[in-house]
Amino acid sequence: MRLIIFLFLFITTVSYSQTATSLLKGVIDKIDLVNDYKADVQIKAAIPFIKVPIAKAKIYFKKKDKFKVESDGIAILPKQGLSDLTGFLSKESNYSAVLGEVKTINEHKTRLISVLPTDENSEIILAKVYISPTDELIYRTVLTTKSSGTVSIDYEYNLNKKYALPNKMTFTVDIRKFKMPKSVASNIRNNDKEKKYKENEKGTIVLIFSNYIVNKGISDDVFKKD
Amino acid sequence: MWWRNTINELVKIATKIRSYIGIGALTLLIFIVLFAMKADGKSYIGFVTASFEQTLSFNGKILNGNLIAFIIMQMLIVHVPLLISLVTGDLLSGEEAAGTVRMLATKPITRTSIVLSKWFSATIYTLIMTVWLGFLSLFVAKWMFGSGDLIVLNSNGLLIIPEADLAWRFGLALIIAFLALWTVATLSLAFSAFAKNSVGPIVSTMAVIILFTIIGTLDVSVFDSIKPYMFTTHMAAWRSVFEDPYPSYEILESIIILSAHIIILLGITILRFNKKDITS
Repeated sequence: MRLIIFLFLFITTVSYSQTATSLLKGVIDKIDLVNDYKADVQIKAAIPFIKVPIAKAKIYFKKKDKFKVESDGIAILPKQGLSDLTGFLSKESNYSAVLGEVKTINEHKTRLISVLPTDENSEIILAKVYISPTDELIYRTVLTTKSSGTVSIDYEYNLNKKYALPNKMTFTVDIRKFKMPKSVASNIRNNDKEKKYKENEKGTIVLIFSNYIVNKGISDDVFKKD
Repeated sequence: MWWRNTINELVKIATKIRSYIGIGALTLLIFIVLFAMKADGKSYIGFVTASFEQTLSFNGKILNGNLIAFIIMQMLIVHVPLLISLVTGDLLSGEEAAGTVRMLATKPITRTSIVLSKWFSATIYTLIMTVWLGFLSLFVAKWMFGSGDLIVLNSNGLLIIPEADLAWRFGLALIIAFLALWTVATLSLAFSAFAKNSVGPIVSTMAVIILFTIIGTLDVSVFDSIKPYMFTTHMAAWRSVFEDPYPSYEILESIIILSAHIIILLGITILRFNKKDITS
């Protein structure tokens, strides 16, 4: 009887593990179709302590990890979650994946896959990836990183589903307490309008992508630092 | 006659070496800042954005001519009053020290007109200094570093102002900075009417600025009622132009208070010079 229960649990675990891996593989297969891309991106940021106008930029990506943002003005982007996550997921040896709950995100039925890195020095501590089994696309990622805290990313897709390239990404990031360098920040009027920091303040950055040009080739010179 | 006397005063300023000390020092200081920013400007940017760098990445040209101009204005607006008072503090007391005040008073012009001529000349000198500051910080900095959005740090956090929205802000900031420096010029002229040599008015002007600035920064409630009326409180009002939303009421208030100081100090100077015994 014990043997049967053990075998049942073993088989269940293995099958779940295979499902998690196969779900991820479906996504990775789509990502792997992309050798390079460039796209226009509109960046809307609503971050405590930062007032920033809507910025327009161009992003460039080339396999495996070349990534560049080019903007005329100042554009604020999240430090984590743009190209690093796909790079991390692409190497299966980097992590182990566990299948989790079913969740509906923006009317898409998804399965949670908890991804744990195998390397103890990995920047990513835990990645919760919500993948739709029907179209094999990531609809939400909750990344816990060493240096940036927790970053939640919601994805929306439009024309480039076959490459798993989103047309909209909404980042929700933790904003740590803003330390004001007093020498540069002295206001002429000591009024009480100054913002006070609240614990666990969150900021959102919305990236709207357009004009994707995929697999048309991008020169390495583009990624050289100015 | 007033206009000819004013031209005469402007010629006197132009022929004095001390008039060029201010312009020379200003030029040198700005070029030192430009050189420092060219050499190690990125560490300054890191200092501004450090609090956010762990979570966010700042892309685009942050270190640009507009930021350098803002930094230069912020650094120099504190020190330029000293350079201004070097010249304006000498305008009336210098005549007394040189013994030319009696000759000046024999001209067919009222003493009030003499003061107004000197005050107008001081205004022109202050204007030249402000325009020079604006030219070096804006045009030279833009030529060296290029243009771009401006990132401003204040006690509410970071504000990024688009490049297209900056020309009028810098213009207005320079006008308000000029008003602040004009107040200092008028203050030193007022001290000059009381003194018999140039050192006293220059030192007194700086002492008043330092004293008022210290009172302004002291977080003690006993001074709260006088702080809004001290001209030093409004000397940095140009910085408010780089806020969003633009605090038009506060800026107007600063303009009114600085203008009131100029009128009152000019009135005191005229009154004092008219009653001054220059015969002994």
